[in-house]
Amino acid sequence: MAFIELKGATLDLPIYDVQGRSLKKQVLRMGRRNKIAEDTDGVIVVRALDNVDLRFERGDRIGLIGRNGAGKSTLLRTMAGIYSPTHGTVESEGKIVPLLDISLGMDDNSTGMQNIRLRGLLLGMTDAEVKEKIGGIAEFCELGDYLDLPLRTYSSGMRVRLAFAVSTAVDAEILLLDEVMGVGDASFMHKAEERLADLHSRAEIVVLAMHANSEIRRVCNKALWMDGGRVRAFGPVEEVVAAYEAQV
Amino acid sequence: MFKHIFDDLKQSVVAYRLWTLLGWLEIRQRYARSRVGPFWLTISMGVMIASIGIVYGTLFGQKMSDYLPFLSISLVMWTMFAQTVQEGSLAYINGGTYIRQAATPKLIYIFQVVWRNLVILAHNFIIVIVLLFVFGVKNWEALPVFVPALLLYLLNALWIAMIAGLLSARFRDLPQIISALIQIAFYVTPIIYRPNALTRFSFIVACNPLAYLIELVRAPLTGQFPSLLTWAVSIGMAIVGWAVALVTTGRYLKRIPYWV
Repeated sequence: MAFIELKGATLDLPIYDVQGRSLKKQVLRMGRRNKIAEDTDGVIVVRALDNVDLRFERGDRIGLIGRNGAGKSTLLRTMAGIYSPTHGTVESEGKIVPLLDISLGMDDNSTGMQNIRLRGLLLGMTDAEVKEKIGGIAEFCELGDYLDLPLRTYSSGMRVRLAFAVSTAVDAEILLLDEVMGVGDASFMHKAEERLADLHSRAEIVVLAMHANSEIRRVCNKALWMDGGRVRAFGPVEEVVAAYEAQV
Repeated sequence: MFKHIFDDLKQSVVAYRLWTLLGWLEIRQRYARSRVGPFWLTISMGVMIASIGIVYGTLFGQKMSDYLPFLSISLVMWTMFAQTVQEGSLAYINGGTYIRQAATPKLIYIFQVVWRNLVILAHNFIIVIVLLFVFGVKNWEALPVFVPALLLYLLNALWIAMIAGLLSARFRDLPQIISALIQIAFYVTPIIYRPNALTRFSFIVACNPLAYLIELVRAPLTGQFPSLLTWAVSIGMAIVGWAVALVTTGRYLKRIPYWV
């Protein structure tokens, strides 16, 4: 039974500037007596999530809304297990597949085929699964013979197609999506939507971060409104989205 | 803390398909559009051994039939070690795009570096085999000792790469410091000269742990059994080093995604 549960999850993101990145600076700082007049230690801490308590259950289709920098992507990354919370806990059951920035994490100098395998393995497929699905992926992305060329020869649209095809081929019980719309040309767009809808129907939990409220209303049954790293509202999609729209 | 690091270690080993693939892709893309491919490594290493061998062999007044095999083994093994540490310091930094994308085990990025350098070692090792064939193997009985010696050598390279990678992810000026240190280590370690040749400052060799490591893998191929002290230092380093590497990596494992 798939679920994700966050209990009092707080996440402090350290942001290092050049000084904070330097071992030399850090060592030199140790010898200084007057710390007040000196520079900061080059680390700024941003509280990206603040005491978040949530539980998502099987069948939940959650739309994540909120302004830029409200913590939507950080929340997705925390649920995916990429970031671990500074305080509190994240527990989950079921295979989580994050589709966060679909154009990243590919190797420019390898061929399309090699990238399918690389990305598949990175997303947690086994070698046998990759072998089994590679035909379907190649067919879906419609890249044909281009798949034997290195990725650096691809146009940005072709890259997105490939990345999208691989990422959505993974069998996910929990699917985390971050603004993945707008892929490829019109005909591929249509296919991509169908594929996403199919994925949604197969996954037990879907969390979707998006700025298009109409889309969220259509696909989701619950909505989560993030504001300044906190949960502003969580409940049925109509209520929360209406409240959010009233506020903006 | 320990649970995390052992989980990561286990998952990383299981994901061997991933790190072998990552390692291979890196080698292939470096030599992608050349006909001889990774054998360029062998060629450049061969040229280096020949030139250093002729110049320094003459300078040190060495017999070429002894010196060339000695030098080839030292250089090939040293290159593997130095590259592993150096690339290891960039392992998490270069893997950053993957680390921020998916919750993969972290040690695969270190394993990838070691695997890649092991493949390169295999290419370079052709030179050693050729030279041993030409000048003859001194002692067949010592030869099998090379296998456990190489394993121990790899274990030591691994923990150093683990620590270098972790600290470099946090402190970005560390890779430069590490490459400077490696450069110095090359000169104070008996690689192109024999350990006993340094008569006046023999403590430089006696107190240099890397001298024992290189001796460990070189001795079996040049017909000797590594001394008890060599084994002891190498095994001791591996145990202490792995303990330190596991504790520090375990302590900061969860911070890596924030750093890269």
